[in-house]
Amino acid sequence: MFGLEFAIETIDLTKRYGHLTAVDKLNLRVKANTIHGFLGPNGAGKTTTIKILVGLLKPNEGIVKVLGQETRGDNADIRLKIGYMPELPKFPKHLTGYELLDIYGKMYGLPKTARREQIPKLLEMVGLKERGRDRIGKYSKGMQQRIGIAQALINEPELVILDEPSLGLDPVGMVEVRELVKAIAEEGKTVFISSHLLFEVEQVCSHVTIIHRGVSLVSDTLQNVSNKLSGPTTLQIEVAKLSDSIVETVKRLPFVSNVSQDGNTMTIELETRDDVRSQISQEITKSGGVIVSMNVKGQSLEEAFIQLVAKSHGGKTV
Amino acid sequence: MNAIKRKRVKTNRPRITRFWAVVKYELLWNIRKKKFLGMVIVAFAFATLGLTLPVILSNMIGQPLSQNPDYAISSGAGALGFFLFALVTVMNSISGEFESGTIVSLLTKPVSRTMVFLGKLFAAFIVLLSTYTVLFLYTTIGGTLVYGPQNNLHLVPLTLLGNIISTFVWIAIVLAIGSLSKSSLIAALGAFGIFIALFISAPIVSAFSDQAWILTYVPGNGASGTLKIINHGDQGIITKSVSTGTDNIAANLINYILYPSSNVTFFKIGAFTPGQPLQIIELYAEPLSLVLLRSTAVAVTYILVFLFISWFAFKRAEVLE
Repeated sequence: MFGLEFAIETIDLTKRYGHLTAVDKLNLRVKANTIHGFLGPNGAGKTTTIKILVGLLKPNEGIVKVLGQETRGDNADIRLKIGYMPELPKFPKHLTGYELLDIYGKMYGLPKTARREQIPKLLEMVGLKERGRDRIGKYSKGMQQRIGIAQALINEPELVILDEPSLGLDPVGMVEVRELVKAIAEEGKTVFISSHLLFEVEQVCSHVTIIHRGVSLVSDTLQNVSNKLSGPTTLQIEVAKLSDSIVETVKRLPFVSNVSQDGNTMTIELETRDDVRSQISQEITKSGGVIVSMNVKGQSLEEAFIQLVAKSHGGKTV
Repeated sequence: MNAIKRKRVKTNRPRITRFWAVVKYELLWNIRKKKFLGMVIVAFAFATLGLTLPVILSNMIGQPLSQNPDYAISSGAGALGFFLFALVTVMNSISGEFESGTIVSLLTKPVSRTMVFLGKLFAAFIVLLSTYTVLFLYTTIGGTLVYGPQNNLHLVPLTLLGNIISTFVWIAIVLAIGSLSKSSLIAALGAFGIFIALFISAPIVSAFSDQAWILTYVPGNGASGTLKIINHGDQGIITKSVSTGTDNIAANLINYILYPSSNVTFFKIGAFTPGQPLQIIELYAEPLSLVLLRSTAVAVTYILVFLFISWFAFKRAEVLE
């Protein structure tokens, strides 16, 4: 993907089902070689957007570019470079896991030797090495999810689109999926991951778009989104024998916007979401203060997300 | 899940490789379907019954079984067989993918919808050709054992071709209903309704109406007539009952090759008068060549029209679930 700035780009993308507008003039930009989270509550329009990206649905209006190519209608060639795992994936029950990967690999034009080499590795990667010869009809929900991830990687895609990859997985499986997503991104691929699980997005994504009722509410790096939404991070520090000079020293720090004092406790409002506790404690110690306790108070992405969605509902929390 | 470093693989991308992948996908589905396997077992059971029943009956009545050198060439799945084979092969080919949700994974692979559609059709063709070939081999070997040496076995490929054309008329109808409704049940019931309506109405229209010609333009058995074969060896002139619809292309093809200048005469039953014998009225006669050509043209037209409807519906279908 050398030279490609955006792996996904939509301009005023709109999709209507009768009177319902599922996606409303969505402008989405997913930078190449990033892990981009696509967040939103159920029914926000995430899956509809993804289905348009992979050619399952046709938009009513707007432009869709995937890996630099504008997609119009049934363009099979664009899909050669995409790996897609649908939400709660369903595969033909009569096929074994190995056969499924073999047939899908063939659809991508992989030669037989490459398929023979690739499939066992993928099965091992998703923990289905021992069950590859079993029919998919005998797989549990979690196993179907795992084979879904394997089939999305069979073609060594440049862009991996995962729609709610953790849905139906147990906690261990969810952690494994997150590790896998990171590993995919380390190989230089772009990962676009749709989720309604904020902690999942927080842990793996570098960029995030929040969508609600088909409208993009915010889209930026995870850091910037958190900063924009969460408001100032606040530190509460209790110092033995808190003096005015200590307060003044802390106030002069460039990332501090305000300091208030209540007895031996300082409340410090920060302009950054970086971890600056060690710098602050160094300054306090240099000024002769002894820190008794330190607490960070700030909104998590989850709190910010709920607030944002509530705002777009006209004050009602969803 | 273990993150394993994988070597970048090179892909070759000829469309034919992708097409074969779709064919393999569908073939595996077809041959592992319980209803298809059940249908094959039923077909073999009927073929076995057709071979063994006359032997049992002749033994019971104490008469030796006469030789029948045309047994193999004249046997086939029949109208109901064609319909049922079509039904079990394609009733969920497209609609089943939508119902089970597997369409999502399939259509997000680098295969166009047209390729998926053609791949599914080709797989149905291979499955039917293989099944009919094995059935014919079974009938030919069985027929030779029971009725003695068989004639005109070189015409078997034509019989297979005719039977496949007949089956494909129903395949096109079933697929079209399935693609439009996205429901295997509606595809099965809708096609069965059409089949049974024509199956029952055809002999009634043929026997009692002056308008039997209409039947030559609808799928199924068509109008019934009599084939008059002149100069049939030592027997001079013989007559043979024939049906003229899309389900009888194979039989009429063989008849045409064996008796190219014969005619088909159509009759109807006259008004019933108490105390009088049944009145058979001759309506009209046509050369067998015309009957064969027309039924083939009608079959091909139905196949093309319904397959186009089916392809168009599939091509435009949005995957909502």
